[in-house]
Amino acid sequence: MSRWKNRIAMPSLPRLAAMLGLCAGLGLAAAPGAGAAGGRLYPSGPPHGVAYLRFANLTMHQAKVASAAAELTLPTDDPHRAGQYDPVTPGSELAGSVVLDGKSKPIDLKLTPNEFMTIVITAGTDGGPAITPLHETPTDFNAQKSSIVLYNLDQGCKAAKLVAGPQNVAVISGVAPDALGRRLVNPVNVSLAVACGDAAPAVPVKLGQMAAGERYSVFLFNRSGAGRQALAVRDEMAPFRP
Amino acid sequence: MSLALAGLVILAIGDSHMAGRNYLLTNLHDQLEAQGAQVNSYGMCGASAGDWLYPTTVSCGRGEHHDNQMPVTDRNKIEKTWNINQLIQQNHPNLVVIELADTMASYGTNPFPRAWIYDQVRALVGRIQADHISCVWVGPIWGNPGPPYYKTVSRVTEMAQFLSQNVAPCRFIDSTTFAKPGEWPTTDGQHLTPSGYHLWGQDITNAIVRLKSENAIN
Repeated sequence: MSRWKNRIAMPSLPRLAAMLGLCAGLGLAAAPGAGAAGGRLYPSGPPHGVAYLRFANLTMHQAKVASAAAELTLPTDDPHRAGQYDPVTPGSELAGSVVLDGKSKPIDLKLTPNEFMTIVITAGTDGGPAITPLHETPTDFNAQKSSIVLYNLDQGCKAAKLVAGPQNVAVISGVAPDALGRRLVNPVNVSLAVACGDAAPAVPVKLGQMAAGERYSVFLFNRSGAGRQALAVRDEMAPFRP
Repeated sequence: MSLALAGLVILAIGDSHMAGRNYLLTNLHDQLEAQGAQVNSYGMCGASAGDWLYPTTVSCGRGEHHDNQMPVTDRNKIEKTWNINQLIQQNHPNLVVIELADTMASYGTNPFPRAWIYDQVRALVGRIQADHISCVWVGPIWGNPGPPYYKTVSRVTEMAQFLSQNVAPCRFIDSTTFAKPGEWPTTDGQHLTPSGYHLWGQDITNAIVRLKSENAIN
């Protein structure tokens, strides 16, 4: 209880790790003496590694991530639909539930070192939440480039494609439903859209001027009654504090 | 006497390599001063890049060295961290020299924590970039693959390559080019002897002089 309040009062802390509760041991490969012990003056790097977890609410309604210890509200305004990546300890079990319109679905997660996991929440057929975990372990970090990922949450789009400019040049292509594609690009200001290779028009997305070293996410989804839509955000990472 | 760095006000920050009296705290500082720069150096033992941004403590001491004064060190003590914002406001640098690698490279542990390092580096670079200050980032030197630090050639190489791709717009100084693995002896597998720190400080200074002559820094 008090731990949750403390975490929420200081949003730069790894809130998700705190609120979902950490249990279980760590499964990392470490050399003997790794860490501060073994004659070292100090540890080198995070002693247990780090993974990153965020939630994205693509529904029309506020959703909540809840555990016995805490509750986190996921808003519906576009700039905040996708939360920041919170650092979590790899190998730890993160348990809780997602609540939408009074209906709840459990989540039980365990991330691996360097993994980035996005839990996408859409409206399920029963009116409750549908939960889609999207995993990746990116290796493309580069301060001279921008990195874009396309998440395809539209089950009716069999091969999503991110296209750029008036010629619709393919930037990322062939992304199956519930999958993702990523690419490093030059940091430019270019019009982008998501297409599916079907009769429906491409859905424009607004990223504006991309910045070198920054990372961006584009979500393609299909909301009942509103049709195919796309959301673009700049990724943010909460500061890591051991 | 060459004054190739005249006009530069340098803020030099680093980890344990910058925190000991006979380390870079003297051996880099004095050589930059000898080239005409005004230098303020700060080292925090065990500090990663994020520790210069968010208040915390370091467990094995700090050291500081201002212009032509004597260096001051507190070894093996728990100390509050210095904050990069305050150091910039206090010293008004037009060049920040960052020596940080060994505290972040996860020597002896797999996998290499690239996402975490990226986050740490980008946060510190972004803070300096926001004040439109030139910066150079000094990468790791070779060490000893054995205990207690497990500083293997492969991980040092991986760290240097990763930093070279992720410190922009800071310029990267690749310390692995200054000596062959094992050429500079260490006292404990990670920290150099005083003569080694003199050579490292000299090579860093030469690299900064070269960057200045190329107008790659102010």
